[in-house]
Amino acid sequence: MSKEKAYGLWKNWKLHTIVFLIVIVAESIGQFEFSVGPGVVLLLPMLYAIVIGLIVFFSPLAGEQDARDAEPLLVLGVALLLAKIGVIIGPSLPEIIAAGPALLLQELGNLGTIFLALPIAVWLGLKREAVGMTHSVAREPNVGLIMDRYGIDSPEGRGVMAVYIFGTVFGAVFMGLIAGLIASVTPLHPYSFAMASGIGSGSMMAAASGSLIGVFPEMEEGIIAFAGASNLLSLSTGLYVSIFIGLPLTEKLYSWLERRKGEK
Amino acid sequence: MLKNIQEWTLLLVIFGISSLFGNWLGYGIPVLDAVPGMIILILICLAGFILNSVLPFSFPSVAYIAIIGILVSTPWTPGTEVVAAWTSQVELLALTTPILAYAGISIGRSWADFTRLGWKTIIVASLVLLGTFLGSAVIAEVVLRFTGVI
Repeated sequence: MSKEKAYGLWKNWKLHTIVFLIVIVAESIGQFEFSVGPGVVLLLPMLYAIVIGLIVFFSPLAGEQDARDAEPLLVLGVALLLAKIGVIIGPSLPEIIAAGPALLLQELGNLGTIFLALPIAVWLGLKREAVGMTHSVAREPNVGLIMDRYGIDSPEGRGVMAVYIFGTVFGAVFMGLIAGLIASVTPLHPYSFAMASGIGSGSMMAAASGSLIGVFPEMEEGIIAFAGASNLLSLSTGLYVSIFIGLPLTEKLYSWLERRKGEK
Repeated sequence: MLKNIQEWTLLLVIFGISSLFGNWLGYGIPVLDAVPGMIILILICLAGFILNSVLPFSFPSVAYIAIIGILVSTPWTPGTEVVAAWTSQVELLALTTPILAYAGISIGRSWADFTRLGWKTIIVASLVLLGTFLGSAVIAEVVLRFTGVI
C-alpha cells in the first residue's frame, strides 16, 4: 500500500461524495432479514453498498479512473477495520489465547476447498484448471504462488484467476449471505463460524462476520475477536499451508480422481 | 515521507467521515460521540503505515495495524479502558459499509472478466468459498469443544 505513489487521491471529491451518499442511503435502508426454511438470510447495509457501488460504476456518474482511485481507498478502509478489530481483540486477549489451539488448527480447514470443490470440478469435466481453482481460496498470495509455479498462461493460472475474479466481485456478497444462513441452520457454535470467517480477505471476513453478528448480536465481541484473529492467521500462514500441504494435496487428489474417471 | 503521512491522513479522515455518518444513521450513535474513537483508529492506522515504511522487514502494514490495535487495548496495558470506551462508539459494521461502497465501484473494472466466467467456474468457485468456510468451522468446533472453550 505504502508503495503506491498515487498522490492527490483525496482530490477526487466526486468519488468520495458518491461513496458518502451510498453510505447514507445504505444505512438509512437498514438491515433486513428473511427466513429460508429453518435458516435466516441477512441483508446488511454493506451488501446494498456494494451493489449500489457497482451500479454507479456503470452509470455516467463514475468512470474507469474513479474505479482505479477507489482501490487504494478500499485498502485504507480495511486498515481502519483492522485497527478496530485490533482494539476488540486486545481486551479479549485472554480468551483468544485460551482458544489458541482451535484458532491454529482451523487454519487447516481452508483445505476444505480441495475436498469439496475438486471432486465436483473434475466431475464437471474441468482439467488442470481445477488444480488452480481449488487448491485455496485464491486471494493475492495464492494467485502469486500458482503463477510462479505454473506460469501465467497455464491452465492452472487461468483457473486461479477465475476463482480470484469470482471472489473479488462476488465473494463478500456470497459470504455475507451464506454465513448467517449456515450458522442458523447448523448446530455448530457461532464462534466456530467466526473463526471460519477469517479466510484471508478483509471484505469477505467483514461480510461473513457481519452477518453472524446480525444473527447472534449478543456474541458480537467474541465473533469479531475470533474472526479478526483468524483472518490475521490466514494472512500470515495461508501461503505456507498452500505451499506445503494444499497444492501437493490438490495434485495428488487430482491425479487420483482423473485415474478413477479413466477407469470408468 | 511527510507527503505520504499527509496523504494517508487526509484519506483516512475522508473515509472516517463517511463511516461516522453511517454510524449515526445505521446504529444511532451521534457523530460527535464517535469522533474520539475514530481519531484513535486513524492514529493506529498511521502508526502502522509509518512503521511499515520505516522498518526494513517486509511485513504487511495491516498486520502492524492490528498488532498496535491489540497492544493499545490489552487488559495488561495501563490506561486502555479509555481506548476501549472511545472506540466502542464506532461500530464495526459502520466501517464495512464504506469499504464495500468503494469495493463496488472498483470491482466494476473486473465485471467484464466476471461475465466471461462460465457456469462451471461459478459453481466451483462457490464451492471453494463454501469449502473453506465449512472446513474451518468444523475443525474449530471440534477443537473448541475438545479444549473446553465452548
